Amino acid sequence: MIERNNKLIRMAIGAAGLALSLCVNAQETGTADTTVAKPMSKSLTPVSQAMLDNAASDPKNWIHSNGSYAQTRYYPGSQVNAGNVGKLRPAFVFQTGVLESMETSPIVVNGVMFLTTSFNHVYAIDAVTGEEFWHYKHKMGPITTFCCGPNNRGVAIDGDRLFMGTLDAKLVALDAKTGKVLWETQIADPDKGYSETMAPTVVDGKVLMGTNGGEYGIRGFVKAFDAKDGHLLWTFYTIPDKGQEGVWAEKDATGRVLHRDIAAEKAALAKDASFFQTLGGGVWMTPSVDRKSHMIYFVVGNPSPDLYGAIRPGDNLYTDSMVAVDLETGAYKWHSQYVPHDVWDLDAVSATILTQAKGADGKVTDVVIHAGKTGHVYVNDRATGKLIRFSEAMIPQENMWVLPTKEGARMLPGANGGVEWSPMAVNPKLHMAYAANLHQPMTYQVEEAAYPGGSKLWLGGAFKTIPSEEQWGQLVAVNLDSGKVMWKHKTPQPLIGGVLATAGDLVFNGEANGWYRAYDARTGKVLWSFNCGAGVNSPGVAYMVNGKQYVAVAAGGNNQIDSKRGNSVFVFALP
Amino acid sequence: MKILLLCGTIAATIAVSQVSAQAPAGAPAGVDVCAACHGADGNSTNPLYPILAQQTARYIYLQLKDFKEGRRKDPLMSPVAATLEQADMLKLADWFSKQKAKPTGFKPDPAKVEAGRKKADEVLCSMCHGGDFVGQNEIPREAGQHYEYVKKQLLDFKAKRRTNDAGNMTSVTSTLSDDDIDDLAQFVANLH
Repeated sequence: MIERNNKLIRMAIGAAGLALSLCVNAQETGTADTTVAKPMSKSLTPVSQAMLDNAASDPKNWIHSNGSYAQTRYYPGSQVNAGNVGKLRPAFVFQTGVLESMETSPIVVNGVMFLTTSFNHVYAIDAVTGEEFWHYKHKMGPITTFCCGPNNRGVAIDGDRLFMGTLDAKLVALDAKTGKVLWETQIADPDKGYSETMAPTVVDGKVLMGTNGGEYGIRGFVKAFDAKDGHLLWTFYTIPDKGQEGVWAEKDATGRVLHRDIAAEKAALAKDASFFQTLGGGVWMTPSVDRKSHMIYFVVGNPSPDLYGAIRPGDNLYTDSMVAVDLETGAYKWHSQYVPHDVWDLDAVSATILTQAKGADGKVTDVVIHAGKTGHVYVNDRATGKLIRFSEAMIPQENMWVLPTKEGARMLPGANGGVEWSPMAVNPKLHMAYAANLHQPMTYQVEEAAYPGGSKLWLGGAFKTIPSEEQWGQLVAVNLDSGKVMWKHKTPQPLIGGVLATAGDLVFNGEANGWYRAYDARTGKVLWSFNCGAGVNSPGVAYMVNGKQYVAVAAGGNNQIDSKRGNSVFVFALP
Repeated sequence: MKILLLCGTIAATIAVSQVSAQAPAGAPAGVDVCAACHGADGNSTNPLYPILAQQTARYIYLQLKDFKEGRRKDPLMSPVAATLEQADMLKLADWFSKQKAKPTGFKPDPAKVEAGRKKADEVLCSMCHGGDFVGQNEIPREAGQHYEYVKKQLLDFKAKRRTNDAGNMTSVTSTLSDDDIDDLAQFVANLH
């Protein structure tokens, strides 16, 4: 995955370096960025493993960035519902001290909210009044390398500890009561292109963390760290030591021809197979965890370099794939590749979701689903990894898979998707998934480029938007049993941020123009809207305190689609 | 920190035309070696050696790293960089980036400066180097850089003698004529 700023991608190949530069150039603006601190709420008590396990059915708390280990982002409460959502009003607005892209998914424990900002700040606030308990600002190391804005997507909690990945590729454990650092551990070398923006997840005392860096020639991974002291328990490399070449697939998972020159690729591989060390494969979003089978599931992003495939012959496993590994050991279980030998960066980044849907035999079965940048929702059998079905295209697809050229070849979707990192939500009663899509027509341009050492954006070409073609977004509901699109709502700007579904038969989704909207989960009818004054490009969450339901979302704009920046979390409730 | 060990060999070889190799007070260890060619305050007088004053710290650091690891090669710089540890590179980069660049006294050809300005607009130099060519992060400052040095770099990118740019500059220069390159070098050397 690479996030592309509209203003940048219209330019020639020289822009490749710029995407990095402008993003890094963005500075936090807070100076006196802490209000008078209130003593920590006595209601904050340690989060047990049982609470984490049962989060999906607990309407009080939102204690995983995506709601539960299954990551359905489905809130089980229905106090706010399709009948009364029109009356939803702001309860409070919390202003952080950082005016920059917000992708955070706040978590809420017994009325205490923990939220993050760009540049790895964490705030603990009262989830009813917005009063601040504490503020943590990560002391950034001298080297950071990140392609896509100084983002952070949230913290994980276990016991009385919070965990956050940082732009300088560290994992930090904080005392949830005070915000004090308990330990820090270096995940990988930022000088080689590693950085961390995903929210971790914690299970059985293991903190699971993937990595960014697919635009810098990293070797991607998911690592497990001991929650007690941060020591490394296991590493699963998303690029295997041997066998990345796979099966030399001539078609993608949907059966479309990839136009690969397999003979030339095989000859190139025979000459040099050492590139697996720089083959990319970032993991951008939190893994989902199946507590019954002790397996975790995640998707792996693009190979490096993004567009220039000649120097990385093979299927480039496990890039652009869904992967299942053993929670205890990190051992490989299965993979399912969507786009072998990707040269378009139409990779797999949105969070995996565990749910149920009809299998090939028509019987309801355990599945793991993912929304691709291709614009399809993929439904995989959870036990075997076999692709059961893929949805109708959620946005226009044209010229797939035309190869990138020196001059630039037009293909839809553009390289942001489809669905970017934005997590989907699922309504399990309706067997429907809700996906936030982009439509950004682009040309794909290739340029020969050797590995530049790890600290320079390494695209091997350029993505350019086409100024004469309109860009827009689309919120799409997909029936997981059939793959059919049930409804869609077109938005004036591409969608990035993620979706929340609730048992009140609602779907919440934000837009770059500041609108946060609630939709009827069955029909897609807009039932409520509120303008937050800055891009709502983060996923919403819901919780309950003292019998009252709240819906919260960050409106901080977004680096990727260059929407208006803000610094706030908006919290809504019924009057 | 092994850089001082090289002082005798490298500095003695190349300091002939330089004015001063004295590192100012407060400079990190090793600046005196750099100063032999780049000037004590990063303002080199030999136009074949780049001005480091006000260069972006990130760029200086990455170039030192590339010299050390062989992605960029130069008979003078490669052996110097080979002795540096990461912490040394970061300190040197930080220090030189904070020095003030001085005018070089370059006498441009106005017609070429104007042609270079137009070409720069056409090939979108400023999208990366900034509208005033002062660079940002990993993208170097070009404003006021030595004409001869800039010209050599552009020619080296075009001929792919220099390839540590992740494909960006080699791609941009592939469509430039020798005259374009001369014009561009005149244009940026004339910026202050």
